Amino acid sequence: MEKSIENIWKEGFLKSDALIAPKINNLYNQKSIHIIDKFKRMFRINLIAIVAFSFIFLIVSYFVGIPLMGAIFFVTMMVVVIINRSLLNGLNSIDKGENSYQYLLAFNQWTKKQVAINKKMSTYLYPVIFMSIVIGFWFKDANGMFLGQRIVNKLLMTLPDIYLIFGIPLLGFVVVFLILGLLAFFGGRIYLWDVNIVYGRIFKKLDDLLADLESLRS
Amino acid sequence: MSSDFYKTSILPFAGIIIKLCRAYTNSQEDFEDYYQEVCLQIWRSKASFREESDWGTWVYRISLNVCLTLLKKKKNNVQYFVSDASPAEETDDNFAFSDESLNLLYAAIRKLSEIDRAIIMLYLEEKSYQEIADIIGTNQNNIGVRVQRIKIRLKKILDGKIN
Repeated sequence: MEKSIENIWKEGFLKSDALIAPKINNLYNQKSIHIIDKFKRMFRINLIAIVAFSFIFLIVSYFVGIPLMGAIFFVTMMVVVIINRSLLNGLNSIDKGENSYQYLLAFNQWTKKQVAINKKMSTYLYPVIFMSIVIGFWFKDANGMFLGQRIVNKLLMTLPDIYLIFGIPLLGFVVVFLILGLLAFFGGRIYLWDVNIVYGRIFKKLDDLLADLESLRS
Repeated sequence: MSSDFYKTSILPFAGIIIKLCRAYTNSQEDFEDYYQEVCLQIWRSKASFREESDWGTWVYRISLNVCLTLLKKKKNNVQYFVSDASPAEETDDNFAFSDESLNLLYAAIRKLSEIDRAIIMLYLEEKSYQEIADIIGTNQNNIGVRVQRIKIRLKKILDGKIN
């Protein structure tokens, strides 16, 4: 008589070789392959790298005469670090002992929240970094005068009829605002594109698992 | 992790972990990685055990949740969810039980969706529909219907009627 799956299961596991636990050595020191731990590692490494780089950049900017750029960049990056650090705390509160639906939902909500917050930040981040470059170089000392002012003076010698607003050529305003607009418009998209390359499959898988569980709940 | 915790709190439930991890992996190497990861996550999460359920059920929840969201390393070093593995993925020869029927049943289970694998594993472990619904976080009535569908699908796979 054909065996049922229940009987195959029961009889199969009666054999002595079926349930041999693998040896575990030095478990705690092994690198975790769990996605939450991976996110935590990635976040920590990123945050440390951002702090280190922006601090080094702050010092370098002082010595190359663009301290304003270094200071704005440093403050902006610290805001990014503080916000992402608080997001990391949310990851720690996900309970793996919850039922699968609640667990996957909590993790999915965390990923969606961190992507949404970082996307929103990117809308402002890239323009602020660009403005830090513009301001930094404008106020750079160039033989007792701001570099920006010196460039405008030279420009006025060749183009005396150029239209100025607060001592800055109108064309300069237009170019800067155009770049700011483009960076603000594409900032969030660039972030999403970047995240999707690395985690797109995982996010899709999470959505699929949740959709399957939700169909069972309805 | 202390060896005492492993011996007293995990090893008695190793059977549950082994059975689950095998359903989500195709090779001995992956299986050992998953087993170790589940043990690690049980140990790390032990402080959140609130004794609302028994330890065995809680171990099942952790094992299942970890298996559903583990990252597996592909040969090209790209990481992805283990459950994203292709159902057609070959199983290593050294990753077999001595019982051929059990091997065939596992091969069939690996062809199911991730959630269906979890449901049928719990069912085969003789958990009630209510317990399955509690562990997975779904509705008890739908579990019964889904179990019957999965059994029909498994039967068809085992009979070679579908891949």
